[in-house]
Amino acid sequence: MSAREQLAATLACGAVLAAAPWLLSDFLLSLALSCLMYAALAVSWAMFCGPTHYLSLATSAFFGLGAYVTAWSLESLPYGVAVLAGGLIGVAFAALIGAAVLHLRGAYFAVITFGLGELTLHLITYTEKTYFHTAGRIISDAPDNAAIYWTVLVLTLGAVATAILVRASRLGLALRGIGADEERAQTLGVDTRRVKILAFALSAFFPGALGAAMAVRWTYIEPLSVFNPFIGFQTVLMAMLGGAHTLIGPIVSAVFFSLVSEFLRLRFPYVFLLLLGLLLIALILYLPGGLASLLRRRGRADA
Amino acid sequence: MGFWLELAASGLITGGIYAVVAIGLNLQYGLMRIMNISHGEFLMLGAYLTWLAHTTFGVNPFALMPAVAAALFLLGLVVYRFCFYRIARTAPSVEVIEARSLLVGFGLMFLVQNVVYLAWGADLRGYSYLAEPVEIAGARFMANRLAVFAFAVAASLLLLALLRWTMIGKAVRAMMQSPTGAQLVGIDTGVLHPLVFGGGLALAGVAGGLLSMVYEISPSMGEPYTITALIVITLGGLGSVGGSLIGGFILGLVEAFGMHFTSPSLKMVLSYGVLVAVLLARPRGLFSR
Repeated sequence: MSAREQLAATLACGAVLAAAPWLLSDFLLSLALSCLMYAALAVSWAMFCGPTHYLSLATSAFFGLGAYVTAWSLESLPYGVAVLAGGLIGVAFAALIGAAVLHLRGAYFAVITFGLGELTLHLITYTEKTYFHTAGRIISDAPDNAAIYWTVLVLTLGAVATAILVRASRLGLALRGIGADEERAQTLGVDTRRVKILAFALSAFFPGALGAAMAVRWTYIEPLSVFNPFIGFQTVLMAMLGGAHTLIGPIVSAVFFSLVSEFLRLRFPYVFLLLLGLLLIALILYLPGGLASLLRRRGRADA
Repeated sequence: MGFWLELAASGLITGGIYAVVAIGLNLQYGLMRIMNISHGEFLMLGAYLTWLAHTTFGVNPFALMPAVAAALFLLGLVVYRFCFYRIARTAPSVEVIEARSLLVGFGLMFLVQNVVYLAWGADLRGYSYLAEPVEIAGARFMANRLAVFAFAVAASLLLLALLRWTMIGKAVRAMMQSPTGAQLVGIDTGVLHPLVFGGGLALAGVAGGLLSMVYEISPSMGEPYTITALIVITLGGLGSVGGSLIGGFILGLVEAFGMHFTSPSLKMVLSYGVLVAVLLARPRGLFSR
């Protein structure tokens, strides 16, 4: 499919999904919401980390910062503006840490992005405790479920559309070049440092905005719940298991794993995570290219 | 005077444990590029084994340490054979080995933690061992902490000596310096890798056993130690065992003095601050040349 066709397909899916608040029960709507959220997180993670092979664990930091933008400003700002501000905070934070740490690679980069996320979490906990004398914040006037759903849907479509455009653009080409061989890309005239910071910051808009949008779903916000590293881990796992270098892989696996975890996690919490662990190990060992490589293998067999 | 001594000693005591945890992880990473994020889970297993054997059979926990180390060493061989062996053999590049082993580590983390949850539940467990104060030079210490500290330092130094003066140690160091060169002179990765992986888990298990003598244990106790170990090996340099030992002590001291001068709720901010500062200023570790 060309980029134009992909965009049209995205728009068509969006039009269908937009009807959900009128058709689905509250329970199913919240299920759809978490599928959309993880799809957007996984797609935006794969946008930068897929082609470049960087392993960023900063998603929960962007998400948590976005959530705190809402917690701090919802009384004075309209919901839509808070969501936008959350996204921009994500971009600013990513540009800042990107400029500082994108020269590191491999495990170093993974560890430091995780460390920076935790550092932000603990700094916010400390600030709230010392200057505002509070451990968490209560969100009083949340918008209704349909408004949240449409906001998250728009963000998800935006993430997918951005991913499509990036893949088709010179930026996407430069990112793939960096992933294949950074020095060669540099020799061929790519300003790798600028490209990496730009793409990393762009991909951070969505987790930031999603954090701000989803914050109103919790009535009580505290740093440990919105900076939960599990959100970041799950995003990375979904994107990689789906195939981070593909567009559709992260979406499919995000929807699949959100559904599975919603149904099983509450009923059998320990057994579910145990099986998730086993599944993860098995997939990495026997299907390292992600679920998308299955599709491709079948496609090749047909042809 | 007594107060500062107590503060410094408490920093060094935690630092000693950090060092044991970090050395195991560092050996695995330095040798095989396995970033084993589930390291803390095996520490937790060691703690539960020690707790179980001590409370059911009444064995002295220190006497249990060799058994715990042996059990985790064997477990390490199994885990290596079933997970990391395949990754090392099929991955096209070092970067891919790192990424895949990190993800498999997450899988192991979920697996081990939840097996322990199913077996023993989420409650805090513990026992009291040597919990009496000892007075040295005007400062008061708990006897169990001193014993744990001595054991941790002895174990780390023993390991350093092994690496320095035995053939296997020499092979490990050669392999860290140059994997290809080491293989050219006849060092067998097929033997060395599982051995070192098992050794890393054995160290984690011993660290867990030592912790169980001092603190209460729970299935989720491991994660913070994984993070601390990552910080320590970043401080000391990836692949440098001596660096991990010193890095552990430095982090313990920074935490102890930092918490005294600021506030205990800043403990994590301090450790992460150190991590970020070191990574930015000296990404190859404090002692790199």
